[in-house]
Amino acid sequence: MRRMAVFFSGPAGCVFLALIILGWSNFFLRAEEQFPILVYMLLVVFLGFVANLLHLDDSFRASVAGHERLWDLCLIIVMAALIWLFREDHYNLFLLGSIMAYSIAVLGLNVQLGYAGVINFSCASFFGIGSYTAALLMTRAGIPPLPGLVAGGVVAALIGCVLLLPVLRTSGHYAALVTMAFALLLRVFLDVSEWFGGPQGITVQPMSLFGLDFSRNIVFGETELSFYLKYDAAFLLLLCLAFSLVRRVERSWIGLALDAVRSDETASACFGVNIMRWKITAFTLGNFLSGTAGAMYAMMLAYISPANFTFADSLLFLSILLLGGIGNIRGVLLATVFVVLIPEKFQVIQEYRYLIYSALVLLMIVFRPMGLLPRRPRVYSGGRA
Amino acid sequence: MSALLSCTGLSMHFGGLTALDSLDLEVREGELLGLVGPNGSGKTTLFNVVTGIYRPSAGKIFLAGEDITAKPPQEVYRRGIARTFQRSRLCLDLSIFDNIMIGNHKTLQLGFIHNIIRRKAFRAEYESCMEKAAALLRALNPDLLDRVMKPVGDLNMMDRRRVEICRALVSRPRLLFLDEPSAGMTHDETRQLMDEIISMDTGGQKLSLVLIEHEMEVIRRITTRCVVLNFGRKLCEGDYESVIADPQVQEAYLGRELE
Amino acid sequence: MDLILQFCMNGLMLGMMYALVAVGFTLFFGVLDVIVFSHGDTVMIGSFAGLAMYWWLGSYYPELAVFWMTLWVLLAAVAVVALLGMLTADAMIVPLRKGPPLNTLLATMMLGTVLRESIRLFFPDGSNPQTFPGLLPDWSWQSGNLNLRFDNIVLFCSGACIIALVHLVINRTRLGMAIRAVAQDEEAAQLMGVNFRFIVLATFALGSSVAAFAGVMNGMYYNEINFGVGLLLGAIGFSSAVIGGLGNVYGAILGGFIFAFLQTIGVVVMPFASAYKDVFAFGAVILLMAWRPTGLIAEPASKRV
Repeated sequence: MRRMAVFFSGPAGCVFLALIILGWSNFFLRAEEQFPILVYMLLVVFLGFVANLLHLDDSFRASVAGHERLWDLCLIIVMAALIWLFREDHYNLFLLGSIMAYSIAVLGLNVQLGYAGVINFSCASFFGIGSYTAALLMTRAGIPPLPGLVAGGVVAALIGCVLLLPVLRTSGHYAALVTMAFALLLRVFLDVSEWFGGPQGITVQPMSLFGLDFSRNIVFGETELSFYLKYDAAFLLLLCLAFSLVRRVERSWIGLALDAVRSDETASACFGVNIMRWKITAFTLGNFLSGTAGAMYAMMLAYISPANFTFADSLLFLSILLLGGIGNIRGVLLATVFVVLIPEKFQVIQEYRYLIYSALVLLMIVFRPMGLLPRRPRVYSGGRA
Repeated sequence: MSALLSCTGLSMHFGGLTALDSLDLEVREGELLGLVGPNGSGKTTLFNVVTGIYRPSAGKIFLAGEDITAKPPQEVYRRGIARTFQRSRLCLDLSIFDNIMIGNHKTLQLGFIHNIIRRKAFRAEYESCMEKAAALLRALNPDLLDRVMKPVGDLNMMDRRRVEICRALVSRPRLLFLDEPSAGMTHDETRQLMDEIISMDTGGQKLSLVLIEHEMEVIRRITTRCVVLNFGRKLCEGDYESVIADPQVQEAYLGRELE
Repeated sequence: MDLILQFCMNGLMLGMMYALVAVGFTLFFGVLDVIVFSHGDTVMIGSFAGLAMYWWLGSYYPELAVFWMTLWVLLAAVAVVALLGMLTADAMIVPLRKGPPLNTLLATMMLGTVLRESIRLFFPDGSNPQTFPGLLPDWSWQSGNLNLRFDNIVLFCSGACIIALVHLVINRTRLGMAIRAVAQDEEAAQLMGVNFRFIVLATFALGSSVAAFAGVMNGMYYNEINFGVGLLLGAIGFSSAVIGGLGNVYGAILGGFIFAFLQTIGVVVMPFASAYKDVFAFGAVILLMAWRPTGLIAEPASKRV
């Protein structure tokens, strides 16, 4: 028993956990009947229970904390393996892409709310601004996709700057209102504006890189690989970049300054922390990430409309953050997977999904306000426990 | 001895309330000044005004000859005043090290490139900061060294005070404000803590200190000079014995005897 | 001229509705320092409860006089919504107060979604807009472009009466005194013998009843109710309360009328783009917040150090 615990708190724990995740995701994504899907979902709960019973959860936690590089590598390999396993399956590849897009946006929100404590109820709006910017620049101005992608993030950050004055001057509920008003405003605006395509939305040109058109299937002799494969690969790259950026922000003096701003503005100001500077940094960086994710997502969707970027979606992003454990970027990724995947696969609840989400988040806030994986105190260099 | 901090005609009004009433105050280089007075006499308000949290209604503040009146808190800190708070204001969910580093903010390199891209240089800076924090903690309570990466919220009151004092001292301030360090602690704990502070090696530089305290015992043991405030005005100043003997002070604390 | 008057009438009507919603927001903020965002959906629940009552009466007592019908509809709305409000306060908001305020805000948003979705999924044909009965006689008076409807006047006047009533309750009764005491300093009020839990429940009952009235009024004014209206109403009520300055009842009323005024201005100034009226109104709210970060009638803010 003890030897097992020791064994799994070494590198073996990471590998074992990664294999379980890979296996589970593979079977879960392949399942189509509702009953096996339910079984797979219950299996997660059961496995968690067993790990807890055998006191293996602490071992795994130690393993992940102690071998960070290995764990990161394992997760990237798992994701790449999943993408490859479903290389011919449009639907599942699209799902994986959506998960990654949402993850990047929530990482941005995490910088704002989780670190600096800047309230943002319009995360989906910035996601949408990124989408629309890329779409309009590519269709109307003929800008190539890669600059379009960057422009999505930059424009989202710039429009965020317009909101900065009211967001910085207000605090608490007043700041919440400002961002909320912005979310509603943008939604109505996109809905009624002819030039932006109105309620029907607009089509988006696909990503293309070095002459590689992302919207075409890859034909390899006999086999034909889904074009989503390319988007997923690009998303995986973007997600890795975003993740390592956000983690480096956290594990630096910048992250410390952001945390200081969140936990006590007055005391921090007395020690020279420049409140304005860090709030601006967090807000802009977060919006940039959301916007970039939105731009790429739009290219993958090929067609966007205002209904994709409603206030309810902003709430969804916030719920993911809260479910995962605010400030814990790994928890956030985990929560994104569940929140995107489960209603898509478990179609029985599709109709009830908003009801179930909100009830779930409500219970979460009341009974476990720190989320599934609560944030741990900062370490400045990973790998060493 | 020259004046390190001098306030002239300092006033602070909150609506109709006068918290500071044209106060003149001087802190000399290397001095341990006790600031005493009944509740609501304006001691903490004075700290808040000097450190820039409040903007004074009238008057001037000079730090070593430089005008720091109505400068933002960040600027005041950069010129060398650090403080603790009456009600402990640590970031409870952050680690001990994080909290101390907040106090070290002016020496940290905050550039984006340095923090995000040049991780090797960052790590070197981190190591040296850790040394600094460890040295401070070692002087106050070596037990805290083992928990340096644990959240402050898990600590008891006395250790929290210690961390707060480390946070104030880590930037090597020219002037330290301690706002009732004994609040929430027992007599013995307070005495121990104050002894620790005084005996601390501040790196050759002589520390000047202003201490707000209700425990007169602490004031007697530590301070070289006292200033008594009442209703935002200076009642009297001098060494502990002369202040204690002053009839005005006795009246302010104990009330007037019935005729 | 007539057209301007007509706009004024419509604006006043809207303003009254918003003011009634905003009063709830500001009352709750006063006693508990929280924003109960689900309040907008509470209003929607009020109108659906009224509608359900109307259907029930229609099938069992079809000959009931209009007056009694209206009264029963109102009563049903008020009863359901007041209960809902008290339940929300007791089961959710009071236990959450120790946590960060954002959690409460988010929790109430989630509660709002739960209410909205419940109506959509479980009310008969809830996903489609429902016709709400007019109940009042549809007399009207026409002059040029100006169309004065009798029922609107009645609605407006009763709204004004409700506001006057709230004013009286808060300023002239012992209950109101206790509410104000709790709003000012909860601990001191409790030490003075105020039953905190009772006051919280009473405040939620009061605010929610006003919301129920707003819900029925909303239904009678538009002759149509919709499960999704709560989100926008909540946002508008919240905006109004915030424009006025949170915690101040008169600020909330003022805020409600200001918001309606902004929307009306949006229509009058830009007739070519009346669809943009909400864009204009919310944009103005954001600008107002940048100008007066704590509302128009702001409480003097002081930092406690």
